[in-house]
Amino acid sequence: MEARQLKSSAHGATTRIAQLGFALLLSFGIGVAHAQDTHAASVTAKDVQAKLAYCEVCHGVSAQGFRGYYPIPRLAGQQPQYLENQLQAFVERRRTNNIMFNVGHVLSPAMITALVTDFHELNPKPLGGAPRDLVPAGKKIFDEGIPASNVPACSACHGPDAKGNGPFPRLAGQLNDYMIDKLVNWTKERGQNPASPDTSAVMAPIAHSLTKPQIEAVAAYLSYLE
Amino acid sequence: MNAFPMGSSIMIFVRHWQRRTLGALSLQATILAAAFATVGPANAVDSGAASQADLQAKIGYCQDCHGSSAQGYRGYLPIPRLAGQQPGYLENQLRAFIEHRRTNNIMFNVAHTLSPAMISGLAAHFRGLHPEPLGGAPRELVAAGENIFQNGVPDANIAACAACHGPQATGTGQIPRLAGQLYPYVIKELVNWGKERGQNPTIPDTSAIMSPVAHSLTKSQIEAVAAYVSYLK
Repeated sequence: MEARQLKSSAHGATTRIAQLGFALLLSFGIGVAHAQDTHAASVTAKDVQAKLAYCEVCHGVSAQGFRGYYPIPRLAGQQPQYLENQLQAFVERRRTNNIMFNVGHVLSPAMITALVTDFHELNPKPLGGAPRDLVPAGKKIFDEGIPASNVPACSACHGPDAKGNGPFPRLAGQLNDYMIDKLVNWTKERGQNPASPDTSAVMAPIAHSLTKPQIEAVAAYLSYLE
Repeated sequence: MNAFPMGSSIMIFVRHWQRRTLGALSLQATILAAAFATVGPANAVDSGAASQADLQAKIGYCQDCHGSSAQGYRGYLPIPRLAGQQPGYLENQLRAFIEHRRTNNIMFNVAHTLSPAMISGLAAHFRGLHPEPLGGAPRELVAAGENIFQNGVPDANIAACAACHGPQATGTGQIPRLAGQLYPYVIKELVNWGKERGQNPTIPDTSAIMSPVAHSLTKSQIEAVAAYVSYLK
């Protein structure tokens, strides 16, 4: 929270003191996270701010997600480890997305750490827009799974409040149309580099077993969680 | 995705933008909400109120300047293509002229006499037109423009245009189609973005999303991307 306040001050670019404070805080944070990374000092607060503004052109101010030509996912509150893994996945073509490949491959490790830390700390309201009438059915699937069709409870890995943990992404507040798109196309988009199998394989059978209406229900439920 | 959630997502986007850059002014958010609520989908319930004769007459009037099939026209100024344009975008721009969010005296005068039903009728009509692009841009810029449009310029923090405008530049909702748009018009808009759009401080609008992008692009990058989109069908 303190970091957010300092960052907001730096955004206004009104006081050198606030910018310096943020720079110190940021470099301290990076120093801790990447104690052995000799490149850690190579990212400046100014560069991070410019990169965040760039991310937010598409992902929405406060990174709450945005509906462009595609639904563009919420990054706010996301698990840092998940974000780092996905950025890596775009670069390694484990996850196919040409736009995000181009975005990802110019980011230094220090920049990635700074970005994922920032996004994790953001907590805007969900964007909304999903059909409310699907929410109860979605909650049931999320909390209990569908034992009859061998779908495990989503909450087992993503947590009862869908905040995720480590490599498991936060789903709370995610755009419903984004989640529908991901679950429907799971194996066409994730785990695409046979030389480098990844954790996306865990979700493959689940995405496959869920019907379209079940996917829509669980996506609607999650999209309203704060 | 229909026009309505698109509008509401942009509304929330702009609200956050306000909160971060202008401070939260609930009055502005209310005005903005009202503005977007009235835009709504093209097939508004009152669209039947404009007679066919009136609509045809108005279309003829629009096409005096925007070209015979609304493919755009080079008058004294480059006059944009309206053919194939997203109804949500056209309706929002007509409203922007009226509300002085977008400064253009000629279009203010055009727009402020249009009824909501006429606006819906016109936007639906232009959406259905598909003339060939007008052309005329330097062909040698197209390849560089395509690269910027599809990939952005990550090192310069310029987002890929395709993320919002779509890989074929067809747009969606309030995000405009750029395919086939006039080369000099696209250049003029991008160069003057912050001087022409978002000009009513009491009604901040979705044009804010493009501000950092337009600001970050160099003149030669703007020319390249404008050349590329001008030839897209």
